[in-house]
Amino acid sequence: MCFLLIGSMWFLWPMATLAIDSADQHAKLELVSEQDAIVPHRQLRLGIRFDLEEGWHTYWINPGDSGEPPRIEWELPAGFKAGSIQWPYPSRLSTPPLVDYGYEHQVLLAVLIRPPRQLEDGAAEKIVAHIRYLVCRDVCIPGQKQLVLTLPVKAHAGASSDLPVFESTQPRLPKPMPAGWRISAASKGDEFQLTLKTRPLARDLQFFPLEPEQIDTGAPQTLSVLPGAVRLHLKKSNHLLKPISHIQGVMVISGTAYMVDIPVSLASR
Amino acid sequence: MKRNLWFSLAVSVLLACFAQAQRVGEPVPDFQATDSNGHIQKLSQYRGKFVVLEWHNNGCPYTRKHYESGNMQRLQKEWRDRGVIWFTVISSAPGLQGYVTAPEENEYLKRMNAVPTAALLDPQGDLGRLYAAKTTPHMFIIDPKGVLIYDGAIDSKATTDQSDIATATNYVSQALEEAMGGRPVSTPTSRPYGCSVKYAH
Repeated sequence: MCFLLIGSMWFLWPMATLAIDSADQHAKLELVSEQDAIVPHRQLRLGIRFDLEEGWHTYWINPGDSGEPPRIEWELPAGFKAGSIQWPYPSRLSTPPLVDYGYEHQVLLAVLIRPPRQLEDGAAEKIVAHIRYLVCRDVCIPGQKQLVLTLPVKAHAGASSDLPVFESTQPRLPKPMPAGWRISAASKGDEFQLTLKTRPLARDLQFFPLEPEQIDTGAPQTLSVLPGAVRLHLKKSNHLLKPISHIQGVMVISGTAYMVDIPVSLASR
Repeated sequence: MKRNLWFSLAVSVLLACFAQAQRVGEPVPDFQATDSNGHIQKLSQYRGKFVVLEWHNNGCPYTRKHYESGNMQRLQKEWRDRGVIWFTVISSAPGLQGYVTAPEENEYLKRMNAVPTAALLDPQGDLGRLYAAKTTPHMFIIDPKGVLIYDGAIDSKATTDQSDIATATNYVSQALEEAMGGRPVSTPTSRPYGCSVKYAH
C-alpha cells in the first residue's frame, strides 16, 4: 500500500510543481495611490504597480504579435467614477520572427478616479480592483488578482509614499505633439509612411500602433531623411485587407512619447 | 523512422524559400510535413477539400482553454464529419514549451479525444514560418481551390477563460459555414490571440 502510494506520488510530482507555478510568483501587483487621502469631488490617481521578475513581461494595450493586455474591473464606493488606463509607452520585445509590445521590470497602470461631491469627512473609503493579466517569459501564465486600498476622506490631501512611482511613470505617458510640429500619414503600396517635421529634426523614432493588424509588428521600421522632414516607413500587416482612414498610436522620439491620431491619405498612391 | 524524419526535415527546408507570409484571397503554395504517425502529408493531396490548419502548443493556457473545455475537439469532429481536413500543427522547437515527439503527441491526442485528420510535427518551424503562424492557437482555412480564405484567431474573445467560449463568435466555423454556402467570408482575418509560437531561436 505504502509502496503504491509513494509510487503514485512520484508520478504526480512533476504535475504538482507545474500547478504551483502561478503568475503570482513572477509578478507582484499592488494597488497604489498618488495621494494619501480622498478629497471630495477632486480627482485622484490610483494605479496598479506591476513588479515583474527578471525575464518576465506583461503587455501594452496593443500586445503585438502575441499576448494579452491587463484588464482592470473596479468595485468603487457609491458615486465614484473610474477613467481608462493611462498606458505608458511599451518596449518592443523581440523573439524573432515575432515582436510583442510590453513591459519588463516595473510598470504602473494609472487611472483617474473622480470621487463624488458629498463624502463624510474622516470616513474610510474602500476601493477594490479586480485584475486579469498575462505574464510571459518563454512561457505564459494567466493571473487574476483582487487588490484593495482603503483611503480616508479629508479636506486636503498630501503626497503618499507611492508618489515616486507616479512621477517616474509620467515621462513615459504619451502627450500631444508640440504646436508647430507636423505629422502626416500616407498609404503607399505595402507601406504606411509617417512624415514628421519637428524641431530639431527627429532621428530616433519608433511607432507603436494602437490597433493590432494594421502594421506588421515584426518588420523593421526604417527612417528616410527628406529636406526638412523625416519619414518613417511601416510595413502593412498582411491581415489588412481594406484601406484605413486613420492611424492611431504612440510615436516615441528620443525617449519621449507623443500621441498620434491622424488621417491616412491615399493621394500619394 | 528516423531516416524518414531527416528526409522530411530536408524537404521542409525547401519550404523556407517561400519566406513571404501567405495572404487571404491568394493561392497558398504546396507544403509537406510528417505527421505523428510517420506519414508524409502533402497539402496538394487534399485539393478539392477545405483544409484547416490549427497551430498548437499543449502547455499554452490559450490552447488549454480550447482543449480542456472540449471546444477544439468538438470543432474537429463537427468539421471532419462535414468533409473538412484538419491539421494540428506543432512548431515548438525541441526544448521549448509544446515540443512533443510523435509517440507523445499520439498519447496526447488519445487522452484528449482530439480527432484532427493528422498532427503535423514541425520542430524546425518551417511550416510555421511559411504561414507566418504567430500564436497558439492560430487558425488558417484553405478552400478546395487552394486559396487561403481565413487567417486569424479561433474566436472573438481573446482570453484564457473557458467561460468566454460560449459567447464568442467562432471565426473558423463562421468562415467554413459561409464558404460552404457559397458566400464570401465575412471575417477573413482577425488578430490571432494566444502564446507566441515557440520557434527555434
